Amino acid sequence: MRRVFSIAFLHFKTLFKTPSAIVLMFVMPIMFSLIFGGMGIGESSGNKAVVLIVASENEVNEKVVNLLSSNTQYTWREEEESAARELVKNQEAIAAVKIDDSIEESFGKSTTPFSMIVQRKTQEYMALSNFIEGLGSTLYQAYRFSPDTQTYILLLENLGEREAIEVSQSVIQKQASKSEAVGMMAIGFTIMFMMFGISGAASAILEERVGGTWQRLLTSPATKAQVMTGYLLSYFLMGAIQLAVLMIVMKGMYGSSWGRLTYFIPFAVLVIVTIVGFSLMMATIVKTRQQSSALSALVIVSTCMLGGVYWPIEIVPEFMQQIAKAVPQSWMITGFREIVSGSLHLPSILYATIVLLIFSIVFYGIGLKKIKYQ
Amino acid sequence: MGILEVRNLTKRFKAFEAVKEVSFTIEKGESYGLLGPNGAGKTTTIQMISGLFPPTSGTIEVGGIDMVGKPKRAQGLLGIVPQEIALYQSMSARENLIFWGKMYGLNGNHLQKRVNEVLGIIGLEDCAREKVETFSGGMKRRVNIGAAILHNPDLLIMDEPTVGIDPQSRTHILETVKRLNSEGMTIIYTSHYMEEVEYLCEKIGIMDHGQFITSGTITELRETIGDRSRIVMKFTQKPELERVIENPALAIRKEDLLLKDSELTIFHKDPQVVLSELIQSVTAAGAEITSVEIVEPNLESVFLHLTGRSLRD
Repeated sequence: MRRVFSIAFLHFKTLFKTPSAIVLMFVMPIMFSLIFGGMGIGESSGNKAVVLIVASENEVNEKVVNLLSSNTQYTWREEEESAARELVKNQEAIAAVKIDDSIEESFGKSTTPFSMIVQRKTQEYMALSNFIEGLGSTLYQAYRFSPDTQTYILLLENLGEREAIEVSQSVIQKQASKSEAVGMMAIGFTIMFMMFGISGAASAILEERVGGTWQRLLTSPATKAQVMTGYLLSYFLMGAIQLAVLMIVMKGMYGSSWGRLTYFIPFAVLVIVTIVGFSLMMATIVKTRQQSSALSALVIVSTCMLGGVYWPIEIVPEFMQQIAKAVPQSWMITGFREIVSGSLHLPSILYATIVLLIFSIVFYGIGLKKIKYQ
Repeated sequence: MGILEVRNLTKRFKAFEAVKEVSFTIEKGESYGLLGPNGAGKTTTIQMISGLFPPTSGTIEVGGIDMVGKPKRAQGLLGIVPQEIALYQSMSARENLIFWGKMYGLNGNHLQKRVNEVLGIIGLEDCAREKVETFSGGMKRRVNIGAAILHNPDLLIMDEPTVGIDPQSRTHILETVKRLNSEGMTIIYTSHYMEEVEYLCEKIGIMDHGQFITSGTITELRETIGDRSRIVMKFTQKPELERVIENPALAIRKEDLLLKDSELTIFHKDPQVVLSELIQSVTAAGAEITSVEIVEPNLESVFLHLTGRSLRD
């Protein structure tokens, strides 16, 4: 084991003597998280998100506006359509909900009575649209059971009193807590920069092969298993320290919560193990460090985009969400989100864990098979 | 039994046969030179002896241990100085030595003591804490050697350890190797600089095209050319060789002449005696001589005589 630790320690030490690696592994993800996290906080810190209502004056619409306003997660404000469009365009409101002049007529034609005016599909908008969909469905059910307009109005009044919608909204909002959103953003950036950092470190094997230290190690009494374990351990430690630093910084800056650590730490270990495997594979399928850098950049950026590292996966079309299942980052994000949000939906975490284990086996299988010991 | 026994060593890379049926034995305490031009198969032979890759056929035993069967045990007896500067450039000389010492199983006070001793041997005590990347080529080469001798190996293998360095560092390295050998360390030294091999080694094997073309002590090898010197003539216009050979006063056989491009090499026991007659004869044969040099018998002459090529070709 002494040899393993010596190899791991040497590479670990080499990393901390390289300023560019420190910038890539620590400064960049912290900076990105602070910039984008700060933007997220700024949008709604203290104040609730503003949602505009565009509705003509009639008795049914008045009841529907009341129902919308009963959701206290948002600040609701009625506006003329042109003013609403301008405010949404200037991002002074997350969206505007336009209610048809006659809801009953819309339902009669089997169309939705709501249309949304939106500039940017943020996480808050996603929660809002879910709420509006739910309300639309409730209104339709009420419409079906009402023989006339007066009964319908009475039913809508009752719905408002029972605050049935507030419950579903609170479930939706659970995912959109600000500190969690910033935390997830930080985790996303950490995953990406961890992939860059560890891939860069792993590609050093290619340089060592040219420099001769790789051959020198292999002709020493250290076994291949000791050499490989030493290298992989150093990459794992780099990832672990990177994640730990990010967690501490985000906690200090935004009070981000990381959920239950008994879940978070083992899952984070698995994520780092998967990233180390990925980096090993990338370093062994190319011949030079330059090739490795170019290919890693391409693969990492594209799979991070697909996997929901930069934005919530829910805002992309359904077929993209299906494609995302083929990249490990989407499973990393899914698992982390379940843990960080505190929902701890065990089947989701377990499923993400199993998929990441399969990815790891594939990555290490290819990497260890392709690595050149001669 | 020798410290190194190599029997019928062959290495094929697909269709290319890099080493062909090489056999030799090195006794404990010997210094053995492996001489040959670039591409002769020296490095491939050394890499197989080091256990970097197995031979296609043949056997290697280091201290009686089979290198193919028990590579890690056998490698523990070896110290390897690779052709490349196989060091971590961003680390200091001391850090490099400590790391490589650990790879050979040294630790604690013993490791520190050996690192200090080796820094003394390679003459780098004063800059031990400086990064290797700031060193000159010669200093790097010295650390490269230091990393291989930390564990006092039974057999030190040096693959072209003086490539691309200044004369001062070269002298230091050659003296260090000579001293290590005189203290009992067995050494294999590969080079295409025959002067280095002549200075350091008692026994020499000459390789070309993956094969041993001859081996023996320096005296034995010189005898293969009859202890004859070389007369090297350069000219702008080639002479008619037949007319030179025909001169009875020179008594030169056709096999003693080597004509290559604008250079004529003649092997002769008494070059001083025949020189003026030779110049006249070559000039009469139509050549315009630009320079004449007499070279004493050496390993270069042996290689040239056996292969018709220079070691540095």
